[in-house]
Amino acid sequence: MDLTLSAEDRAFRDQARAWFSANVPSTELKTLEERRAWHRTMYEAGYVGMGWPKEYGGRGATPMQQAIAADEMARANAPAPINGLGVGFIGPTIIVHGTPQQKERYLKKILTAEEMWCQLYSEPNSGSDLASLRTRAEDKGDHFLVNGQKIWTSGGHIADWGILLARTDTSVPKHKGISCLLFNMRQPGVEVRPLKQITGSSEFNEVFMTNARAEKSDLIGRLGQGWEIAQTTLGFERGGNSMARVTRYASAFDRLVDAAKKLSRGGRPLLEDPVVRAKLGRVFAEMEVQRYAALRVLSALQKGDSPGAASSITKLSYSEFEKRYYELCLEILGPYGQITDGGLEETTLDVDSSSGVRSSWAYAFLWARAGTIYSGSSEIQKNVIGERVLGLPKEIRADRVKA
Amino acid sequence: MDFSFSADQQLLRNSARAFLDEHNKPAHVRALWDDPRGESEALWKEMAQLGWLGLVLPEDVGGSALGLVETAILEEELGRAACPSPYLPTALAGMAIDRFAGPAQKSRWLPAFASGRARGTVALQERDLALLPEAIHTRAEERGGKVALSGVKQFVPWAHVADVVLVPARSGNTLAVYVVETSAPGLSITPLAGMDPGTRLAQVTLDGTTVAAEARLSAEALPFLLLRGAVGAAAEMLGAARRCLDMAVEYAKVREQFGQPIGSFQAIRHKCAEMLLEVENSHSATYYAAWALDSGAEDAELAASVAKSYVNDASRKVCGEAIQVHGGIGFTWEYDLHLYFKRAKALEPLYGDAEHHRELIVRRVAR
Repeated sequence: MDLTLSAEDRAFRDQARAWFSANVPSTELKTLEERRAWHRTMYEAGYVGMGWPKEYGGRGATPMQQAIAADEMARANAPAPINGLGVGFIGPTIIVHGTPQQKERYLKKILTAEEMWCQLYSEPNSGSDLASLRTRAEDKGDHFLVNGQKIWTSGGHIADWGILLARTDTSVPKHKGISCLLFNMRQPGVEVRPLKQITGSSEFNEVFMTNARAEKSDLIGRLGQGWEIAQTTLGFERGGNSMARVTRYASAFDRLVDAAKKLSRGGRPLLEDPVVRAKLGRVFAEMEVQRYAALRVLSALQKGDSPGAASSITKLSYSEFEKRYYELCLEILGPYGQITDGGLEETTLDVDSSSGVRSSWAYAFLWARAGTIYSGSSEIQKNVIGERVLGLPKEIRADRVKA
Repeated sequence: MDFSFSADQQLLRNSARAFLDEHNKPAHVRALWDDPRGESEALWKEMAQLGWLGLVLPEDVGGSALGLVETAILEEELGRAACPSPYLPTALAGMAIDRFAGPAQKSRWLPAFASGRARGTVALQERDLALLPEAIHTRAEERGGKVALSGVKQFVPWAHVADVVLVPARSGNTLAVYVVETSAPGLSITPLAGMDPGTRLAQVTLDGTTVAAEARLSAEALPFLLLRGAVGAAAEMLGAARRCLDMAVEYAKVREQFGQPIGSFQAIRHKCAEMLLEVENSHSATYYAAWALDSGAEDAELAASVAKSYVNDASRKVCGEAIQVHGGIGFTWEYDLHLYFKRAKALEPLYGDAEHHRELIVRRVAR
């Protein structure tokens, strides 16, 4: 057990720290083109797709180096790269399951963000039960005809391409009739509507596909292999965000302490109130435990261990923590915590929230509700932990009885 | 960066578990609960033979010169076995004497600890519930080159079997920690009966008990003991929690109601998943803190407070939920679950409760 960075990793950290402090844009990036340019700068410096194999344009970086770079990015309060889904998991999916032609056609433009990608998985009636999805991709000989509706499509409004799960066979059990396709978002028959969330902002979209087209050459894997591909935990970027996430929580904690010094309750600074102190101590401890847990996961990844189902513990842990964290911040800040505009300077949260968006406490509080729902809700994670980690018996499921 | 155990550390854990599984079965724990002394002389001698009692002590006094990570491994296994033993307070006394005492005290106590001939303990609490230095009222008065100690210490672990107790006391505004033999005149011990008979506590009264000037250790020994005690207790609570989780999961696989194993119900499965999450986070917190104290990391003190405050809540939740998963059988005296439930609960207020450590955290991070 040695929780210090190796000399090599320290050197890498120093190099990344120097690079970010010299290169972080001094003004807020407002347009997609500005963010794309910043993404491109980071890509050229080697900080995008770090975990991708070298032959596909990555640098084959270790999980630790990826985590360090993301952490330094968070420390420097740098805008996040764009095309996160493309770089994080769609590219890796193409690398693992794609044909040589698909790799040649798509990978480089994912890394450079020349083409933006989105994920077309969830549907209005298929959330946790994703395999019940109804979007059809009908074999028309030389292409697939796609009809259906997707929802919770992050970045759908700016995407050029999407990775699509669609039903190609209705005669087999639901998990077996799904295929995975690369889908052109810039075609007639595709309509993208922003979905206004409880935050008031629209990071997600609804996508309507009416007699749209997917090419035969854009099938990933075999026909009917889509569910299997979607279930594989993919990605060379794993662990990348683990430390950065805690660094963002920590910078929010510093802001909270600042506010607790300047605001008062009953004539004394909030920070001198024993109840506030107890809450701060509790939440700081929980935050540190998230950091230790992230180090533990990174250590296992460094050794080449695959966390598999145990990654459900990590996801459950941080997403539930994040909800408690911002709930507690708003408790401490009282009404100041809910002001989105026009409040006191000391009660604004002028740091990146874990969503990577410049934000208010209220925004962070609201956004935290998403974390325990997306990418497998907490309830799904607990099922996975119960069945695959603890070996508890599976529940009897109506949809598996027939199969 | 490596958060895993070395082969030697893994071996230590495996052999400790095998030893305790054989020599500290639940029936043995129950027998000791009914025993006035409450711990086993034979087991203590075996622990000495195995090298556990000198684990962190230098080699020249018969120790192995290992660290707090190894100590935490043993403590986790002791907690997992609900072993009634003065292991933790003795280890703490040994570490403090090794670190802060002069040669006479070292040669008097360290070989005796390592060989199992002596037991030690620490008296960190008085009547006031706060463990902060300002709550220490025991007085130390100079008397002809010696020091006379007067005061009452509460909830001193295993004082009734200890040969030596470390006593924080004040002389005006100056704090120090004194090494006091329990056989010294004016020192009396009143055992307390607690909810966990595997964690024996006592009131220790000092009425002008005199010690030599060389028995005085620096005031730094106080936070030193408190933080190492906190991590040791966290490790024991982690062990108790992991045992409870294991028992709950095994039970949920075999207990059937409504024609199915209860573990197939999400109400039970989700509870077990939450318990595992708390156990794994407690593991991360405990071993991070043990490593940090060992290696002198700049956040070592902070990490110890994080570990104790976190594992206090987590272990109480996990052990309690294990009873809930078991239902009625888990509430019976006959079933072993309460051995671990009570061990975790008994350690909660010792070496600083969660509120104490949260206050220490805030003092460090919000200045």
